[in-house]
Amino acid sequence: MGNEKKLNLGGQEFESRLLVGTGKFSSVAVMIEAIKASGAQLVTVALRRFNRERPSDDLLGPLAKLGITLVPNTSGARNAAEAVRAAMLGRELSGSRFVKVEIHPNPHHLMPDPLETFEASKQLAKEGFIVLPYMSADPVLAKRLEDVGCAAVMPLGSAIGSGHGLSTAAMVRMIIADSGIPVIVDAGLRAPSEAAAAMEMGCGAVLVNSAIAAAGDPVAMAAAFAVAVKAGTAARQAGLMTQSDTAVATSPLTSFLSGNQA
Amino acid sequence: MTTELPEELDPSLWLSIARSATESDVRRALTTSSPTEAKFAALVSPAADHLLEGMAQLAKRLTEGHFGRTISLYAPLYLSDYCPGGCAYCGFAADRTQPRHRLSRDEMMREFEALKAMGFEEILLLTGERSPQADFAYLRDAVAEAATYFSAITVEAFPMTTAEYHELAAAGCVGVTLYQETYEPVQYHSLHRWGPKRDYANRLDAPSRVLEAGMRTVGLGALLGISDPIFDALALYRHARALRRKFWQSGITISFPRVCPQEGGYQPPFLVDERFLARIIFAFRICMPDVPLVLSTRENAKFRDGIAGVGVSKMSIASRTTVGGYREPTLSPDGQFQVNDDRDLETFFTALRTKGLEPVFKNWDRVYSRGDE
Repeated sequence: MGNEKKLNLGGQEFESRLLVGTGKFSSVAVMIEAIKASGAQLVTVALRRFNRERPSDDLLGPLAKLGITLVPNTSGARNAAEAVRAAMLGRELSGSRFVKVEIHPNPHHLMPDPLETFEASKQLAKEGFIVLPYMSADPVLAKRLEDVGCAAVMPLGSAIGSGHGLSTAAMVRMIIADSGIPVIVDAGLRAPSEAAAAMEMGCGAVLVNSAIAAAGDPVAMAAAFAVAVKAGTAARQAGLMTQSDTAVATSPLTSFLSGNQA
Repeated sequence: MTTELPEELDPSLWLSIARSATESDVRRALTTSSPTEAKFAALVSPAADHLLEGMAQLAKRLTEGHFGRTISLYAPLYLSDYCPGGCAYCGFAADRTQPRHRLSRDEMMREFEALKAMGFEEILLLTGERSPQADFAYLRDAVAEAATYFSAITVEAFPMTTAEYHELAAAGCVGVTLYQETYEPVQYHSLHRWGPKRDYANRLDAPSRVLEAGMRTVGLGALLGISDPIFDALALYRHARALRRKFWQSGITISFPRVCPQEGGYQPPFLVDERFLARIIFAFRICMPDVPLVLSTRENAKFRDGIAGVGVSKMSIASRTTVGGYREPTLSPDGQFQVNDDRDLETFFTALRTKGLEPVFKNWDRVYSRGDE
């Protein structure tokens, strides 16, 4: 994956391969400017931050005005039943068929529950959602989620908000190698270079939130991520040179073999 | 002395570190990545005062990484100040002579409406110890009523049975706050002069019952100053760790109430000044980077503005600590504690925004609450 010109999620195509999360910003104004600078066409937003009764405290309203695709997430759900309920409400309120399934029973480290995520994703795909599940970087779970109709898988690079980067790189490579749907690295990225690395690896997209929201200048950092994602995508498409650690041995190990070299 | 404190909470083994760590011990603790009792003990030790700025910088980075540039808001709502309890430090204790009041259903609804109009989406309902005027059924019904107004209802009242906590969750309560006050058993007994609160073990075990009952979060705390604050901070840290190990699907929050000398003429035996309080908050943030740390309006505006986002991630504001205080501030003049930050919402929000922090009213949705199932 990752060689197509556009990101295809559930039959919908997107030029931008940078998704932006909308929590953690110092103000709605900064969030909006950062999204614009990122060029993102898909943004995730927590249902729990929808506030219909108080526009000044609401994230849905200002995001809806941007005219980009909203992906409500189910953050706060600790099992499949809650996530499905939240997804239904999110679709009703946002009008978007997209859902990021986010089920973390432990509210502290926010690691996704594989069993509940699988169950919720299966149900929501049947209900006609375009399902993007947030998951641990588990190659088997990725295929199971693809099999039940998810539009992409979203393995974590490292723990949410940790800034530990692509610590799951080896697992993400395995997921990409076998995946028939886009792989979107979500969580843990800190630097644009890490986003570029994920794209070079063959990811379909990356999702960034904390690295932008907690940057010294969130708007400038959003622009930096946009450039990095484009560079990584272009590099992937250009074809990276073969990596080799081997030098030419001064004492060849095959010199004892009889016969001439072909 | 600590026979009533279970071994898994007893801080005795680390007290010597917490009292006599050197500056280099603190530096070493700051560079170790795995949080342990020894690390926490070094960070709350007096030697850490010399490294407070560095701790603050680290605390801010960790808070930003996990909670972003936001401060979650909540409002306390006192339902009743009837109390059979004899807490020596409390303005609501049974031997205080002030008139008592309990909100009727209509009064309660007017308070809910007043808070809702201010924008609050998370409220903390409070009562005194279990009393005929404010018993479990009264509290449960108040939760159910509040759940029709707000996204998140939490309760700070008396220790209950697991079955009662279960019923409270079913009514729409998502969290319970219950401070042990002090973890030090001898001091606990001397301060809780009569009433059901004398049962130290029942109170200590209540947070486990809260989480056994399926409640989302439990709020812990020690009333800093009523006993040795180092002992209490260490025991509180151990309590939070023990609960996290046992109830992996539950949330913990930690609050930092500091007792004020003026309540009922009570003079706290231990001084916790602002630097000491900040040190305890930073130690918790550094050793528990992902736990919400809560600060009420007991503290003054300058301290609150300074520590917002630098460890603390959740705050109350515009609080009334009297029964019926949001609608009629004069109904019951003496609050449970003195509010030292009496700013209105907009003034507080301006201060937060000046620091690059966004106040957030709604960070929960009823769709996740058990009462809606």
